[in-house]
Amino acid sequence: MNEKNVFCYVMVAPALLITIVLGVYPMVDTMLISFQSYDLLTVQSKGTEWVGFDNYREILANDKFLQTVLQTVIFTVLAVGISVLMGLFLAQVINADFRGRSVLRTVILSPWFVPPVVASAIWLWLLETNTSPINSMLLDAGIIERKIRFLTDSDTIGPFSIPMLSIVAVRCWNGLPIIIIFLLAGLQSIPKSLYEAAEMDGGGVWAKFRYVTLPMLRPVLMVLFALLFLGGFGHFEMNYIMTGGGPRNLTNVLAVWTYQEGFQFLRYGKAAAAGGIVLVMCSIISVFYLWAQSKDNRS
Amino acid sequence: MEKLKLTTAVLALSASFLAAAPAGAESIEFWTQTYGDQIKWTAAIKELTEAYEAETGVKVNHEIVPWSSSRKTWLAVAQGGAAPDCADMWWLHSFSAIGGDKFGPMPINDFKSKFSVEDFYEGALQDSTWRGDFYGIPWRGDIRAQLYRTDIAAEAGVTQPPENWDEVIEAARKMTKRSDNGEVETWGYSFGSAAKVVDWLMPLYWQAGGEFMTDDGKTATIDNDAMRKALTFMHDMVNVHKVADPDAFEKGYKARPAFVAGKVAMIGSAEQAWGNRLETENPEVDGKWSFSRSAAGPANRASFSGAGYLGVLRGSEKVEQCVDWLAYLSRDENMLKLSQAAGTVATKPAVMATDFWSDRPYKRVVAEALEDAHTSQHPAPAWSAISTSEPGGILYDMIYSVVIEQQDMDAAITTAQELMQAQLDR
Repeated sequence: MNEKNVFCYVMVAPALLITIVLGVYPMVDTMLISFQSYDLLTVQSKGTEWVGFDNYREILANDKFLQTVLQTVIFTVLAVGISVLMGLFLAQVINADFRGRSVLRTVILSPWFVPPVVASAIWLWLLETNTSPINSMLLDAGIIERKIRFLTDSDTIGPFSIPMLSIVAVRCWNGLPIIIIFLLAGLQSIPKSLYEAAEMDGGGVWAKFRYVTLPMLRPVLMVLFALLFLGGFGHFEMNYIMTGGGPRNLTNVLAVWTYQEGFQFLRYGKAAAAGGIVLVMCSIISVFYLWAQSKDNRS
Repeated sequence: MEKLKLTTAVLALSASFLAAAPAGAESIEFWTQTYGDQIKWTAAIKELTEAYEAETGVKVNHEIVPWSSSRKTWLAVAQGGAAPDCADMWWLHSFSAIGGDKFGPMPINDFKSKFSVEDFYEGALQDSTWRGDFYGIPWRGDIRAQLYRTDIAAEAGVTQPPENWDEVIEAARKMTKRSDNGEVETWGYSFGSAAKVVDWLMPLYWQAGGEFMTDDGKTATIDNDAMRKALTFMHDMVNVHKVADPDAFEKGYKARPAFVAGKVAMIGSAEQAWGNRLETENPEVDGKWSFSRSAAGPANRASFSGAGYLGVLRGSEKVEQCVDWLAYLSRDENMLKLSQAAGTVATKPAVMATDFWSDRPYKRVVAEALEDAHTSQHPAPAWSAISTSEPGGILYDMIYSVVIEQQDMDAAITTAQELMQAQLDR
């Protein structure tokens, strides 16, 4: 090992150590717990016992858990899909050269400064049926006749409900700025000559977007999708704070379910098993991302 | 030589600091949650700790545990996490079961004689006693009673607070106001002030004559006529009389802004601390609200009551110093200071008999309501999990399925009874 390599290892060591202690170790430990009968109320008197896949079997036999898994996927797909589509549009807008661009950039990026917990509290107030100023405005304007129960209406169309869409909207609002920043960086790295060439070939706005922007943004989009899906599957704050998974479990997601199982019902074994399901889902995304990346590298 | 001198000087300086701060022997770590106004609360504890240090020479280092992280903090403590020497605690039955004989709350039977336990309300002592062991002194109560808007009541022609369930229905109907398109502008009734649906059921079930489990905490006893009466009352208030807001059963519902804004006229089980909060934080409703004793159900007028206690933690090497500190706090004058700062009822009749607890009409009602107190603690470690007001909680799901989803009541109760028994068998 030469001196340069030693230096590199020393530089990487602190980050690696933190990752192992705060990331890898808890993850491995949680996986071990998921195969044990780990009941917090009896762990001192009865200890833990290896139960194989019993915890997984039990939670997968629970209809509400399966509903929660499905909703986690739907929430993530909706939030990621809508955010990225809006991000693509808004990034193009604020990448253009026009007067007032700085102001618009500031406005669009401002939700980024609001932590998700604070954003949840603010939107909880804005969407609470009886006190919602949104409801008041819509009623005053004559657009609606009855208050919209943004977070409590339990009517559904398939798996979709108003509370689910309300939380998706808030998640998009809060997550949009980081997406725009990613895409803006990507857009600014695309050589202008490519657009000029497309114009010379007679390409219009759509053609330039379809054949220049999207392919050139592909690496950024891949990273973005991977990050957003990984974060989305583990998302907790907004669903927990705004609805706690209700009404009728319609907004429950895996992270909230895991929290409730572990910290409310004190059944760590089953909570860890739910965490294991999240890990599997995240692993699928990671494997897909790595496969796509290596395919890109090969080509 | 210079280096040697410098090293010697640093070592000497360090040694002098260590000698000057014999923290290990002369100080104890004491944690509390925060109550009422945090600044006032911290100042009150500071005054007490300084007076205690002047009297005994023992320094008490006070730290606040925010309520938002309190549950997680005590869960961590009960599993061997960093713990103070003594603290203001709650849920003794669960946390002592989680900690076993290694971590968490520590019995102090050998020191019981240092406290005049006979001076406390007997019911309050249940919250610091578990399986015959004495864990400390109860210091605060959370007694709940009926709270109503006097202005809305007067407008609706309700002249007296309801005395029983039938009168509650009648009053709630009169006070519920609807706009021309049928939208409810004022709900006549709300079951409770705390955003915990299960806390709403408890007093109703007791008032109907039920108890959640046997005295030994081993058998669930919810599949009975009393539960049917309690759930029927809740169901009918929402779905038949339509005087209670179904949205209140969802997370995020805030009762106090609704009450202050006049969108809720009456709360069946309101925390007594609201009296203090309404006085200090909502002067706009001065003279527009009043407390009254809980309305009676078919069997009695039991009121929800909780308590917190001051106890010692396992692993502390300063048990005796802690016991002395807690004994100091348990003096009447100090219990009064704690009660004043927190705005919570005291656990000693002598303190409740002071001027402080009779200088406002609502305080006199609160003192009367103590006669109806029924502890919300139950003799089973799993009670905390059973009574969780979150989706998936046994009692929460039972209430929700009956009141909101309007499912079959018998089936919901039977399922809950089975699940609760399984929890008690954990």
